Amino acid sequence: MLYVPQEFISMYLPAIYAGLIIGFIGTMAIAMKREEIHILILTDIVGLAMIFVVSAVGTDLAEALILPGLVVELAETLAISEILITREMRKIEQDPRANLKRSSSLFPQAFSLDMEIMTTAPNFIALILIAYGIFLTGFTGGAVAGGGIVLYALSKKARGLPVLVLDGIAGVSGIAWCLWIIGFLLFFVTPQYWLLSLFLAACGLLLKVASKVGLIGLLMREDIDKE
Amino acid sequence: MIDVSLFFYFGIFLAIIGSIATAWGPGVNDPVVRTFNTEVASIGVCLVLLCYNHVLALLTLLATTVIISLILFRAIIRLEEMGADV
Repeated sequence: MLYVPQEFISMYLPAIYAGLIIGFIGTMAIAMKREEIHILILTDIVGLAMIFVVSAVGTDLAEALILPGLVVELAETLAISEILITREMRKIEQDPRANLKRSSSLFPQAFSLDMEIMTTAPNFIALILIAYGIFLTGFTGGAVAGGGIVLYALSKKARGLPVLVLDGIAGVSGIAWCLWIIGFLLFFVTPQYWLLSLFLAACGLLLKVASKVGLIGLLMREDIDKE
Repeated sequence: MIDVSLFFYFGIFLAIIGSIATAWGPGVNDPVVRTFNTEVASIGVCLVLLCYNHVLALLTLLATTVIISLILFRAIIRLEEMGADV
């Protein structure tokens, strides 16, 4: 039996009801809005309701379920925002009267990093960050290694995202899913190999998070390097 | 000694108020205001996770909230520059 503290049991019903109320508010607002970007923002609220319901469990299981939920929600938001931008671009390109302005950047003015340290240091620092992230494994290691990839991507001046890189990231992501699922399966089928399954899941999560954070860095670079 | 359940119910209150503000609050036709209002709800969820001792989930929630708001701001800015109706 799992041990659940007494106060967590008394907090179960309020948390479940709060999750239901928040989810209801979020889905009602989604039903009433028409614009896609507003719906994307409101999806965040429904994700918070999901966290409420899962965290009401109150054990380590809740923590283990919240982590992948948050990461998947992050990936969803990233993908849907890209799809929205692409669709709107296509809509405007097909309309001959619309004039597409070329400047689009996260920063209001041109953001150029012309420092000597940006060309020499990043290789070394990124290598150290990625090595330390692999040493840590798990979610924290993924975040550290992803930070290294972001630093490398932001400091290099090469433009455009080659198809090979995107395919590679997708492949690494698939391998990470497989490692994770095999780890979970081994954990339940043969509990005596728990250390092996733990490390399989941890390495899968490392690859997953690192590739995701690195992808966000590549997208940000596309915005920043635009003159 | 402050009771833990005070933080728990305050977190629930903040989350519900924040989600109502995100859905029907003042000025939410501007997507930037709507994105800021989600932060209120996520602070409430942070308090609830703190009461449950879910440290890793709390840290992950903080990190993903920051990254999601960056992604949303990027999408909003690019859609507004392209002249789409947001």
